[in-house]
Amino acid sequence: MIQAFLLYVDPGSGSYLVQVLIAAILGVTFFFRNIKLYIRSFFLRSKKPKDNATD
Amino acid sequence: MLPTIIAHPSSFRDPSGFIFEKEGTIYRQVNVLFREHFDYFTNSGCYNHLVKNGLLIPHEQINQNLTGETTCYITLKPERIPFISYPYEWSFDMLKDAALLTLRLMKEALHFGMVLKDATPYNIQWYKGRLLFIDTLSFEKYEEVPWIAYRQFCESFLGPLLIMHYTKIPLQQLQMAWPDGIPLVVIKSLLPKRSRFSFYTYLHIYLHQKIAAQGHGRYKDIQKFSKQKLVSLISSLELLVNKLILNAKRSTWSDYYDEVSLRNSYLEEKKNIINRWLNRLETINTAADLGSNKGEFSRLLAAKGIHTIATDYDPYCINDLYTSIKVSHEKNIQPVIVDLANPSPSIGFNNAERSSFYNRLDADLVLALALIHHLAISKNIPLENIARIFHQTSRYLIIEFVPKEDVKIKLMLQQKKDIYSSYTEENFIASFSNFFSIEEKQIIPDSLRRLYLMKKIEA
Repeated sequence: MIQAFLLYVDPGSGSYLVQVLIAAILGVTFFFRNIKLYIRSFFLRSKKPKDNATD
Repeated sequence: MLPTIIAHPSSFRDPSGFIFEKEGTIYRQVNVLFREHFDYFTNSGCYNHLVKNGLLIPHEQINQNLTGETTCYITLKPERIPFISYPYEWSFDMLKDAALLTLRLMKEALHFGMVLKDATPYNIQWYKGRLLFIDTLSFEKYEEVPWIAYRQFCESFLGPLLIMHYTKIPLQQLQMAWPDGIPLVVIKSLLPKRSRFSFYTYLHIYLHQKIAAQGHGRYKDIQKFSKQKLVSLISSLELLVNKLILNAKRSTWSDYYDEVSLRNSYLEEKKNIINRWLNRLETINTAADLGSNKGEFSRLLAAKGIHTIATDYDPYCINDLYTSIKVSHEKNIQPVIVDLANPSPSIGFNNAERSSFYNRLDADLVLALALIHHLAISKNIPLENIARIFHQTSRYLIIEFVPKEDVKIKLMLQQKKDIYSSYTEENFIASFSNFFSIEEKQIIPDSLRRLYLMKKIEA
């Protein structure tokens, strides 16, 4: 549980709750984003040797 | 008996400790209440890591209870910041970098099992050419709960940045109206409707505001919020902040130097005269370049090792200066947005939490170049009043007098009636002579303008 004295900044109960919801949405978003970034880096990596070869 | 020590007027909200001044030195007391978190912060290596990476202000531990209070656990002596500035005086990119610094600190702290318990721009200051976190007592142990400072971050960093990004207007002043952060409902109503189609803006502002408006009294039900979730939340904020830009609209003053440099050797001659005068002055450690534009003359002072506050009322010019300092890594220039006809007032509790601009300004030298006609003619401020203000702020004054025959004043007077019969060089000298002794005077070649070096008459 949160220690009372640490709450000198009012977190706002709604702002606490919304983080649970946002984190759930981000879990899904980042899952797909990571796949996208992985695919992109995969293609960039496979491109790289070609680039070097033309140097 | 120890003398009574009063906490700094801005240091009363957090019960973990406070800042105070004793015999001209700044100290921070850590209270017994915060012992566990502070020890963890030090022993976990978090403090050393942040200081080593130039993210947090270093401090020295003093083995003495200077306040004599029983609540005192440890006393710290942090390095002193020469000039405190506030977020409503920062340009867009400076606030953006302060937001990114806060998020980075949060991520770095998480590696050590700690979090930031507050996220306010007032915890960040300009020091030696960069932004630095100054509140050593903001770090506490991570306890698997949502981020306590999330709303504060959204209201005091994200909100102002989003508003400026979407409206394309530098609206630093909003932060003065709401020093504790612009309420989410206000941010939402100032943003254009299309902003809700930005995914992360929707989450952190619109959804946040909607749930915050409904969810009273239920946060105690939340049992666990994993570190991974917290990192995702911070990363999404980082992705959003990184995308925000101040639309590069040109202001009236953006092209000033390009235009001015066309006027023969005016700028170069001005620099030569100032350089000569600077060489003969006694020690000058601090200076304020008032009406600095993009800081051409601030650079001249900074190159001599003088800590220079460059102020201008044009947020675009100050933003340009800030971004160029970021590239050049100049350590002695501090860019600040200040309108001299309406400088930052004292605000906050008891009008003492955030000090006024002139209360903070104490420079060895003030540079007021191509400025006086803007105050006297554009703003109708009497010369005597201008002289009095400069007298309060500095030991030396280098001021440029722009006569009425100057092409710039002629342009100004095309738009308004000439009611400025008292704006003459004789009156200028008479007004300033009440407060300063005139040490040097020189005509700037290729112009009608004159430079004066003045020394304050001590009361």
